[in-house]
Amino acid sequence: MNAHWERALRVDGPLFTKWFWALAALAGAAILLSIYRTYAGLGAVTGLNDGYSWGLFKNFNVTTLTALGSAGYAVGVLVWIFNRQKYHVLMRTAALISILSYTSGMIGIGVDVGRPWNIVWVLDPSTWNRYSILLEVLICMTGYLLLGLQTENLPAFVERFLEGRYPETWKHKADTALKFVRRIYPFAIGLAFILPSMHQSSLGSLMMLAGPRVHPLWQTPMLPVLYLLMAYILGMAAIVGILMISCLAWNRPLDMKILGRLGYITALATMVWLALRVGDIFGRGMLPLVFKFDSYSVFFLLEMVLINVPGVMLLRTKWRDDPAKMYRMLVMLTVGGLLYRYVPTTIAFIPGDQYFYFPTIPELIISGGFIALAIIGYLYTVKRYNILPVPLTYWYAAQGKSTAP
Amino acid sequence: MGLNRRAALGAMATGAAAMAGVQTAKANDAKILPQNKMVAMLYDTTLCIGCKACVSACSEANGLTPDTGESGGIYQMPKYLNDKTKNIIKLYVDEKTGLRSYVKAQCMHCIDPACVAACPMAALQKNPVNGVVTWDGTTCLGCRYCQIACPFNIPKFEWTEFNPKIVKCQFCDHRMAEGKGPACCEVCPREAVIYGTREELLKVARKRIADNPGKYFEDRIYGEEEAGGTQVLYLTHVEPQLLGHLVPLGKRSIPEEVESVQNTLYMGFLSPIIAYAALTSVLKKRWQEHEQEAKHIEEQTGLKEQL
Repeated sequence: MNAHWERALRVDGPLFTKWFWALAALAGAAILLSIYRTYAGLGAVTGLNDGYSWGLFKNFNVTTLTALGSAGYAVGVLVWIFNRQKYHVLMRTAALISILSYTSGMIGIGVDVGRPWNIVWVLDPSTWNRYSILLEVLICMTGYLLLGLQTENLPAFVERFLEGRYPETWKHKADTALKFVRRIYPFAIGLAFILPSMHQSSLGSLMMLAGPRVHPLWQTPMLPVLYLLMAYILGMAAIVGILMISCLAWNRPLDMKILGRLGYITALATMVWLALRVGDIFGRGMLPLVFKFDSYSVFFLLEMVLINVPGVMLLRTKWRDDPAKMYRMLVMLTVGGLLYRYVPTTIAFIPGDQYFYFPTIPELIISGGFIALAIIGYLYTVKRYNILPVPLTYWYAAQGKSTAP
Repeated sequence: MGLNRRAALGAMATGAAAMAGVQTAKANDAKILPQNKMVAMLYDTTLCIGCKACVSACSEANGLTPDTGESGGIYQMPKYLNDKTKNIIKLYVDEKTGLRSYVKAQCMHCIDPACVAACPMAALQKNPVNGVVTWDGTTCLGCRYCQIACPFNIPKFEWTEFNPKIVKCQFCDHRMAEGKGPACCEVCPREAVIYGTREELLKVARKRIADNPGKYFEDRIYGEEEAGGTQVLYLTHVEPQLLGHLVPLGKRSIPEEVESVQNTLYMGFLSPIIAYAALTSVLKKRWQEHEQEAKHIEEQTGLKEQL
């Protein structure tokens, strides 16, 4: 029988597991290396050079991974723009994934820029170059994080202080905060749609300025549209995949009706994306490059298979009814989608024969450590706050337990 | 050579004066810069003997530590442009025919520079009078988008510094104030690289082509139209793209192409604003419905809404 998710409920169980400590160790190493990087320069810890001047931190942690962080955007569009309130129960998880992914990415940018103290100038609009796509990305991401995502995440946090064991003044403050959130909510979710639409597409436009330095299989005026749609697809895949793993890990029932539906929407979006991608290749007459079988064409074909197969499979009910099958397809789709977002920035970026880039071990640790930081944030939050969805029976059971002396 | 150096210096001096002021030119306004005001260089592969006097003159004039890495500390021998090298002479040899050519690589000072369009904090600027592209570290974030954007792979970054700078040819702007020209041009014993206004140098180049039929590759001036035109011009006897610095580029500048795509999407920032206004009016209604339903559910089941 299918479980019907209706309420968000915190996960019971200890926070400080061996997994937590392993992640904390990685994050700690990343922070130490980041401090060392500040003194010794970027060259001391990374494989970056004058040809490949953007590496893992910007291209992977930000450009690639914030696509997974578009979960809040993807579900938000469904709930608020298309008015499908039945998915509202997923909003907390989706918004949490987004805020963690974006925060982790922003920390990555902080370590990546060579003169981070100059970020204060962003507050002075007279220093802005309004033609810069990077400036737009920077401002829209910060705005989304501070205005959109904070508002979407705030209720789950302050709600906790309304419980009995907190002092009266705290309750009062929490109440005021919630009222304020409710008043600005429609404006905030409006921003939470506009701002990601802008910067997720502009992450693609960024590489357009590199012109002929990006291989023609990827370099196209369609980059902003393809990047945005892929963010939507990967945001969907992330929310479904992460909910599946979470329910498996903490022994909670899956609402396959909702997840299957999301899987179907993901598949439809993937079909649209593929049509645009393939249409663009035909339209620009790049078909011969696809079958050249050099490393670029191999990457293109790999990407196509990884995105195509799950896209087609998830259109069929048989593959969406079985959680294991759907999960596998979503992982495949995610790998393909992330590959698409990463390839134009690094693998298909052609700065000249004399340059070579492969991330160094400290660079991999820093990059991985920032991801670990996001996962730690996730573990902490779902175990302390009501985030993950459960059926009503679980909710009542938890209430019964907590009200018992 | 019919080149009036004094006029060129005059143009450069006004440029220096403007640079001292607060005026800034943004990527797109630069197109209005008149040809006779733009300073330029003209490099001729048929005259260059590869003596590299310009390479050492450049590092001396710009106070750079000579890069001796490739020679084990004996000679100034940079392999590529780097954070110690703003100017380099490269050699091209065709193994089969023995055809050889030198090529000078430094910032091309594009008429519509991609680096200036890229820079979020306007740390890279195009001088509104003489068109020289310069870097000012006051607001530079060290984001290195200029390195990604530059089609000629020119801006270099100090990878091992605590406070890294962007290093690139600035047309010896500090010498302009003293009434001197770029060090590389002044030191060249063969006048293989000369400076002047862009208008003058295009005339010189056209005259050389007319006087020497068949000498230059396709009778072409590289930089006249490439990427919307550059202020460093090249006459080559070998196909430019073989030389390693002069990449094949279209006539339209890349920032212009990107601008047109962004404009289609943003319509001068109008579309996000209209979309936001339209959206919030719908969302306000949705939100009211949502609040009412939540209240209804709370009355029925006693469950407070989880926003």
